[in-house]
Amino acid sequence: MRQAARNGRLALNRRRILLGGAALGGALAMPSIVRAANEEIVFATWGGSWEEAMRTAWFDPFTAKTGIKVKTISGNTYGKIEAMVKAGRTEWDVVETLPDFQWVGAEKGLLEPIDFSVVDKSLVMPGEDMVTTYSIPQVLFAEVLTYNTKLDPPPQGWTDLYDIKAFPGNRVFDGDDVQATLESAALADGVAPASLYPLDVDRALKKLETIRDQAMFFETNAQGEQFMSDGQAIMGMLPDGRAINIRNNGAPVQIQYNATIMTWSTMVIIKGAPNLTAAQKFLAYTLTPEAQAAIAMAYTYGPVVPKALDLIPPERAKILTGGPEMKGKAILRGEKWWSQNLAAATEKFNAWKLG
Amino acid sequence: MMSAPAGSRRATHSTATVLLLLPGLFVLAGMFIVPVAQLIIDSFSDSAGAWIHYRRIAVVPVYLLVLARTLLVSAVTAALCLLLGFPVAYRLAHASPTGKSIILLCIFLSFWTNLLVRAFSWMVLLNPNGIFNQALGLIGLGDSVKLVYNTTGVLIGQTQILLPYMILPLAAVMSRVDPTLMNAARSLGASPTRAFLAVYIPLVKSGAMAGLVLVFTLSLGSFVIPALLGGPRDMFLAQLIEFNINNTLNLSFASALSTVLLAATLILYWIGNRWFQLGQVWGGR
Repeated sequence: MRQAARNGRLALNRRRILLGGAALGGALAMPSIVRAANEEIVFATWGGSWEEAMRTAWFDPFTAKTGIKVKTISGNTYGKIEAMVKAGRTEWDVVETLPDFQWVGAEKGLLEPIDFSVVDKSLVMPGEDMVTTYSIPQVLFAEVLTYNTKLDPPPQGWTDLYDIKAFPGNRVFDGDDVQATLESAALADGVAPASLYPLDVDRALKKLETIRDQAMFFETNAQGEQFMSDGQAIMGMLPDGRAINIRNNGAPVQIQYNATIMTWSTMVIIKGAPNLTAAQKFLAYTLTPEAQAAIAMAYTYGPVVPKALDLIPPERAKILTGGPEMKGKAILRGEKWWSQNLAAATEKFNAWKLG
Repeated sequence: MMSAPAGSRRATHSTATVLLLLPGLFVLAGMFIVPVAQLIIDSFSDSAGAWIHYRRIAVVPVYLLVLARTLLVSAVTAALCLLLGFPVAYRLAHASPTGKSIILLCIFLSFWTNLLVRAFSWMVLLNPNGIFNQALGLIGLGDSVKLVYNTTGVLIGQTQILLPYMILPLAAVMSRVDPTLMNAARSLGASPTRAFLAVYIPLVKSGAMAGLVLVFTLSLGSFVIPALLGGPRDMFLAQLIEFNINNTLNLSFASALSTVLLAATLILYWIGNRWFQLGQVWGGR
């Protein structure tokens, strides 16, 4: 999913830069498509195989149940949402985003409140800020410590990721996930998970400095998978689904769940959504245990509704984000803190990279 | 008597010019000038103060460094393109029709291949276990040369991708050079080197300048290649602009960064124009 998001973003922005914004302007200037009221909703997605999974697990069953069709649009970027709302031409109803947008988008007045008389939020797992006035969680995903199986003894946690004496060799980091990179450094430096936020960015960067020459930052997940598969790096962080994927494909890697940073993706309704009522119904549907179990069967992201785990076979649950393997080990990211501090932390992180 | 028809002819001529320019001007105004003006206005319209974003760019030790790096890497890319593109353009301009087709086919095949595909291909070729390092290993240099995930990787990728923008304008100018001029120089006693430097180079200078400006300008906006083939230090300003649009939704700061990049480009163009008469490129002579 994030892979698709990233690739989509690369493609979109390359195009935008080449056309000098003409593409965006053109899209906004198009007359809005006339739709039959309450017959469909428009869902803006990261696309790719993730969209196909949602199609079978969510969209088709939802249409069968309610008669409301789900039309998808790729390229769900924040910039597009803001441009759309500001122009007064909202064409999307539901958008899947990273959780920071549930605050950033709300603050900018780009979101419709969720109707909790329709959407049952009591089903959602406990966790700070997973449900807000303007958002519900969609699925769980995580960054996990992945290591080459030749390492003996294997690394036990984030501390070993930063121990180049005990584990000499290159390490990979998700270059697009500044959050996980800094969090892993702070945790490795001895910050207790309970007091991780507010994150001491300077302390984290000092820890990163100790492995500067061994750190490789990947821009796309495919790159990170490659580094781990061909042994260019001996360990590092990968999205959990990606780590499982290369392990299944025969790469000599194993996962250390002691080092897991978990977060969630979120769904919001855009201000002025043309099919507001239908959109609320759709969100309510995605939070049912059945729908959550269905998406977890179709993709390795974890359900945000604990009851869904009862409907999933144990061998499947084992590989899911937030499943029994991660229980008691995963740290839930402080997304609210990040929504306010990502820009400043990234600025410091970039300065460190250049230094 | 004589001046009246001449004057009216001039008037007709300029009316026709204006009419011919109009559609282009409309497109340019609507699709470029207005959006760019909007972008510049946006960069000054933050409630916290008009200059707040520019102060941040000047004070935080990231943005100007990245700008300098963007300009430097783009300049080196342009120079490398000239170095590598010149012989190819020469062969292209002076080849037989069949030779021309073959060279053009080679250029366009790579030109039409998707940018991401080419970036990923370079990753495969240049990585430490890749074919180049294996070859270098045979002569005992395998581990000492790092070709990717650093500035070298960015330069290789950028140069390969932008090379056609150098070759094509250069070859166009070269093919217009009258070959008898070189013969004339030789018959007047110039050595082949002297004839090349004193006659040929000045004649194709405008093509080289056009190529340099094109490659440099296009390189400034890149971010796919530096992101994929570069190391931690190889940030381009476009990557920071993209981050501020899509990760933090700070459009006015992204606008300010874009404005700074635009201003830096215009200043460099102005300097280039003063010292190297870049303007004559567009005059055609």
